[in-house]
Amino acid sequence: MLLHVIAITTLAFPAPAGGLDRRTWREPTVQGELQGWRELLASVGWEMDQKTFEDGLYDLASRTMAVREAAIAPMKPYLMYCGAWQSWRMFVAPHMNPARLQVAVGDEDGWHVVFEERSDEYTWRRYMFEQDRMRSAIFRYSWPNYRSGYHDLAEWIARQAAVDFPDATRVRVRFHKVETRSPEAVLAGEEADGKWVQSWERTLAELRTPEVAP
Amino acid sequence: MTRAWAAFVALLDRKESGTAMAIVRVVLGACVLRTVLAVWWAGAVPLVWYDIADGGHRALPGSYLIRWLGGPSAALTDALLWGSVIGGSLVAAGVGGVVGSRVITFATLQVFQGLVDSNGQAGGSYDLLINNMLWLQVLMGPTGTLSLECRLRTGRWTSDTPVAFWPRLLVVYQAVLMYTTTGLQKLSIHWIPGGDLAALYYILQQPTWQHFDHTWIAPYYRLTQLGTLVTWLWEVGGPLWLASFLRSLGYLQRWTWLWPVRPLFIAVGLFFHLCVAMLMDIGPFTWASLSVYAAFVHPWEWERALGVGAGVAPVTRGSAPHPAPPP
Repeated sequence: MLLHVIAITTLAFPAPAGGLDRRTWREPTVQGELQGWRELLASVGWEMDQKTFEDGLYDLASRTMAVREAAIAPMKPYLMYCGAWQSWRMFVAPHMNPARLQVAVGDEDGWHVVFEERSDEYTWRRYMFEQDRMRSAIFRYSWPNYRSGYHDLAEWIARQAAVDFPDATRVRVRFHKVETRSPEAVLAGEEADGKWVQSWERTLAELRTPEVAP
Repeated sequence: MTRAWAAFVALLDRKESGTAMAIVRVVLGACVLRTVLAVWWAGAVPLVWYDIADGGHRALPGSYLIRWLGGPSAALTDALLWGSVIGGSLVAAGVGGVVGSRVITFATLQVFQGLVDSNGQAGGSYDLLINNMLWLQVLMGPTGTLSLECRLRTGRWTSDTPVAFWPRLLVVYQAVLMYTTTGLQKLSIHWIPGGDLAALYYILQQPTWQHFDHTWIAPYYRLTQLGTLVTWLWEVGGPLWLASFLRSLGYLQRWTWLWPVRPLFIAVGLFFHLCVAMLMDIGPFTWASLSVYAAFVHPWEWERALGVGAGVAPVTRGSAPHPAPPP
């Protein structure tokens, strides 16, 4: 029992696991957090420029993770095989620029949106894309460190679209990224500014099985 | 030091009725069923858990169980899925004796973990919580009550058969560890006191986790700030919850101020999770979390509330025996 308690406590101890990919640090949400902390530290007399702050933070995080890895190494088999793995980084920060997935198919008339996350109008295969687990995956795919998963999903969508929309010639998958409006902006009736990102397109012809001649 | 160790040993030696852990077990089994069947019901099994070679969307590294069984395949994924359904049902029903219940629960843990770990990007902390709770049920063994095994053994659904207390203590510790460490990692300037306390407002605006649009909350921004502060304090204050739980068992009696902490934390937790369930769509996390709350309520409290069993607390701290059922 004591060994179990020691093992789970060591693994659950706060650590920047998953936060060492500096590509994600360029995201506006993360930049906002880093800027906020730099200002907080400056307010108590610890001023530093952005590069010094981020390099120092990265160095500290890397060292912390190295110590953590060494500490949990002997306990890993127990934690993995007995289902005792711990990772409780839940909603550690609000995402200030969340993204919505959109799928559109194209023909000679142009693009037609067929699915948009959380929309009651564009609902193609919604029951799959909005299942708890796929929402979780799609949320991750809007981050730069999950780009390969995003491209795999886009390819899968193209294969399904080739079957479900026989007249379509192209498919497009992209995210609409919108800065969340502050309460003041909502009350003032201001519209949110958004932009389309991670746009991915392909033609559908080669995904369709050619008909066999009689 | 010696006295503290003796008290600790006495705490672990305690016996009690299995009512609280049986409720944990039933809700846990239902959570396994819910989370697996929801994917099947949505027709999303291939998209979520199949390898690209079988119609999935990405090449899956596979869980250690899948790798051990020869690599990902649709047939293996289906077997793990239906194994989880059968296992979850058996865990909820409470079958098997001292050995059988542990074997069934351990097998359920392995197939469930093998399934959900096959695509770690399509899951969340609820999977970890369910895994952990299943492992603690393996350590627990049969709960002795509110089970098919009890019905077959005694002809009744409930029994006062004493069981070990320490597995329930581990469930309580796991819950406190989860809440405390998630609170300590909420280092965003929008969470911590001294910041703008806007975290809950902005989290509720994230489309991924919404049931419906929440811009209607804007006029109540101050309330969400209060909610942010209470949530953060409640999470990082987890150790107080553990201390008050021990006090309710007869320990730490000098710390009189602790007495309202356990009911207060339970009330805040229930309110928090029910609000999350109403406002957010985060899968089975709410129900998996609520399963652990059953362990914070003592068996005799459950028995009085439900009108079953003896409903009598041990009279002294430490190794006091569980009272015999009335003749």
